[in-house]
Amino acid sequence: MTRPTWRHALRRTPFYLVVALIAAYALLPFVWAISTSLKSENELFGPAMLLPSEPTVRHYVNVLSSGAFMRSLANSVLVSGGGVFVALTAGSFAAYALGRLRFRGKGAMLYAVLAMTMFPQISVLSGLYENVRDLGIYGTQAALIFSYPLFTLPFAAWVLTTFFRGLPREIEEAAVVDGATTAQIFGRILLPLTVPALVTTGLLTFIVSWNEYLFALSFTITNPNAQTVPVAIAQFTGVVEQQEPIAEIMAAAMIVTLPLVILVLLFQQRIAAGLTAGSVKG
Amino acid sequence: MATPISARPTSSVGPGTTLLGALLILLGIVTIGSLALEITQDSGVRSALDATLGAGRPSLVIAVLDAFGVLMPLLVTSLGLAAITLGMGVARRDVGATRTAHDGVTWLAIFALVMTVLRLTQGAPLLADGTLGPALAVLAALALRTALARAAQVPGLAHEPLVAREARTAWNLLVPALVILLVVAARPLEATVITSLTDKRFASDDVPSFVGLTHYRTLLTLRLDEVACRTADDGSCARSANGAVRWESIPRETLLDGYRTAWHWDLPLVTAPDRAISVGALDRTWMRAIWVTLMFASASVTLELLLGLFIALTVHSEFRGRGAMRAVMLVPWAIPTVVSARLWELMLKDTSAGIVNRVGMMTGLIESPQAWLTTAALQLPSAIMIDVWKTSPFMALLLLAGLQVIPKELYESARVDGASRAREFVSITLPLLKPAIAVALIFRTLDALRVFDLFNVLFGRAEHSVSTYTFEVLINNQEAGYASAIGVLIFLLIFGFAILYVRFLGVNRT
Repeated sequence: MTRPTWRHALRRTPFYLVVALIAAYALLPFVWAISTSLKSENELFGPAMLLPSEPTVRHYVNVLSSGAFMRSLANSVLVSGGGVFVALTAGSFAAYALGRLRFRGKGAMLYAVLAMTMFPQISVLSGLYENVRDLGIYGTQAALIFSYPLFTLPFAAWVLTTFFRGLPREIEEAAVVDGATTAQIFGRILLPLTVPALVTTGLLTFIVSWNEYLFALSFTITNPNAQTVPVAIAQFTGVVEQQEPIAEIMAAAMIVTLPLVILVLLFQQRIAAGLTAGSVKG
Repeated sequence: MATPISARPTSSVGPGTTLLGALLILLGIVTIGSLALEITQDSGVRSALDATLGAGRPSLVIAVLDAFGVLMPLLVTSLGLAAITLGMGVARRDVGATRTAHDGVTWLAIFALVMTVLRLTQGAPLLADGTLGPALAVLAALALRTALARAAQVPGLAHEPLVAREARTAWNLLVPALVILLVVAARPLEATVITSLTDKRFASDDVPSFVGLTHYRTLLTLRLDEVACRTADDGSCARSANGAVRWESIPRETLLDGYRTAWHWDLPLVTAPDRAISVGALDRTWMRAIWVTLMFASASVTLELLLGLFIALTVHSEFRGRGAMRAVMLVPWAIPTVVSARLWELMLKDTSAGIVNRVGMMTGLIESPQAWLTTAALQLPSAIMIDVWKTSPFMALLLLAGLQVIPKELYESARVDGASRAREFVSITLPLLKPAIAVALIFRTLDALRVFDLFNVLFGRAEHSVSTYTFEVLINNQEAGYASAIGVLIFLLIFGFAILYVRFLGVNRT
């Protein structure tokens, strides 16, 4: 490492200023949201101040003791979890075929999966709406678990295909020589190697499902009991009926966002882990 | 001496393959037959065939298409035909056919089981009509599967080539994904296309009537008229309260034809100062939504690229805290769009509680507090600003990945040759980053064109993107036919871009 002299540090100051500016740009609105969620009513409508003068967690208590909000939180966990489960199981099977096996029609399938990752949800809304109604699940969480694979599955299949393809062939060849079946190769050898990729893909599909708004709004608009967090936040009118409950909205927003932010911090390391696992030799 | 296959002693193992083959052929015939029965039993189809209804009866083609589409009958028929072909293969003692039939029957058992479980979880009793069928199908399929498994293991059968085996495994692994995508993507898309040709209303069980391309005509018709401005008392162009020029309306005949002005184009150099081009459409809200969406997408993606590139280049250089910086960059991306929309709604408040107005006034960027989200001229810029905040850091991460694969040696040799930093950027960084930029651009453009959450939360019905307009027409107005036509147009637009994207990326087949 070079000697960090004061001259060197001084020369780097403008650079660090730019970095700080970028960080502020990305983070300040988030900080503002946290700060607002901690402010007392008096402060909310006065001149805007960055930090609350007398922080209070009352809004968090209000939101967390609201049955409707907690239900939407539970719905979100259920629906996103379901989306991740379907995407990872069906997706990893498909990815194994697309990434490691040879068969006719593979090129077409790869194109189809890649194109599907860009499928516009709004285009099938009308058709899906009919389907969901015919199945008798309109206005329930099941409608969302049913429809979310539209965007989670192609994404998961694509990411995992790339990953499977990166694993060295020798692993499988050795297993074949030892007399392992395809199922054994997949379940005992390749799947454990893909755990980091599965975790990463799972996290990403979870975040995407958690944030999904269009289907959630369309399919649960008539039934508040089945609504997920984004719909609840978009339509939040507050626990106490008075003027717009800014602080409570922000408290609710932070409750659903903080887990994601924490996941993202973890996800940073997972990317590294996934990349290392992909470069394992034999 | 070669023994004829049929003469080989095999009858001691399981039921005869001829019987198994016959069962499969029967299964195929029953499948196709029950499809035909299902179609003739459909209430819409029956009313179309009902002669007593006279001229008022719905069209048979539309009745069938509306209830079943094309994909599902086609799929069921080909599965039935496949069962018949495989049955003949099994009877001939073809090992490939036997194994394929075995796998097919296994999937049949699995799907019948899933159906049964779904019915049961919905509270239907086991002995009900719709539950007992699948339940019995599970048992029948399992029995057939066992028999086929034994038939495939009869000694003396020719070995199946390894390639065929691998291909069969691959397709088996693809089945779950294909079935799910068929149900949630292909079939709804098909239904949307069919519905777009009809006057169907949402949640109506009546057979809709065929209207052909009427919806598309309404959506796509445009007319351009040159209009003059309204003159004020002093002879100059009149302006409304917000400073916008007031234009004359388009000719009366065109108004009677149903055209309304979506927006005015007063382009310098193209039109005289007191003239503008009125872009008229049969559905003004839709045409305006297209315009707004295209403006939103092009402006936000351009800004995101520039800002993202700047951020990526900064973070690319080595410094302490680079890892933390990357995590920071993911924060705006991870915040749900709905949350960030509400957060910015708060920050953009027109009172002194709005931080943006306060900071803007303090720094002298604005003279008076602005109503960012309710002033027509500021709505789109505000939405663009929010989108840029949310996605440029993510764009930067995509570009950063591109920067990291550029070999360092290139820069070193450039430095030896005495190239300036600017020269380095133009001659090395930019050309080598081009693929990453292209991917990020196309990806973001597709995303921006679909924008829904932001517009829905920020503007409600005041300003539409194409997606929020579709939602409005479908969910609030219940006009399924018209909304479907919009959906199809968006699909074509997005897929045009997607094809470009896939072409560009290419698919590595190895």
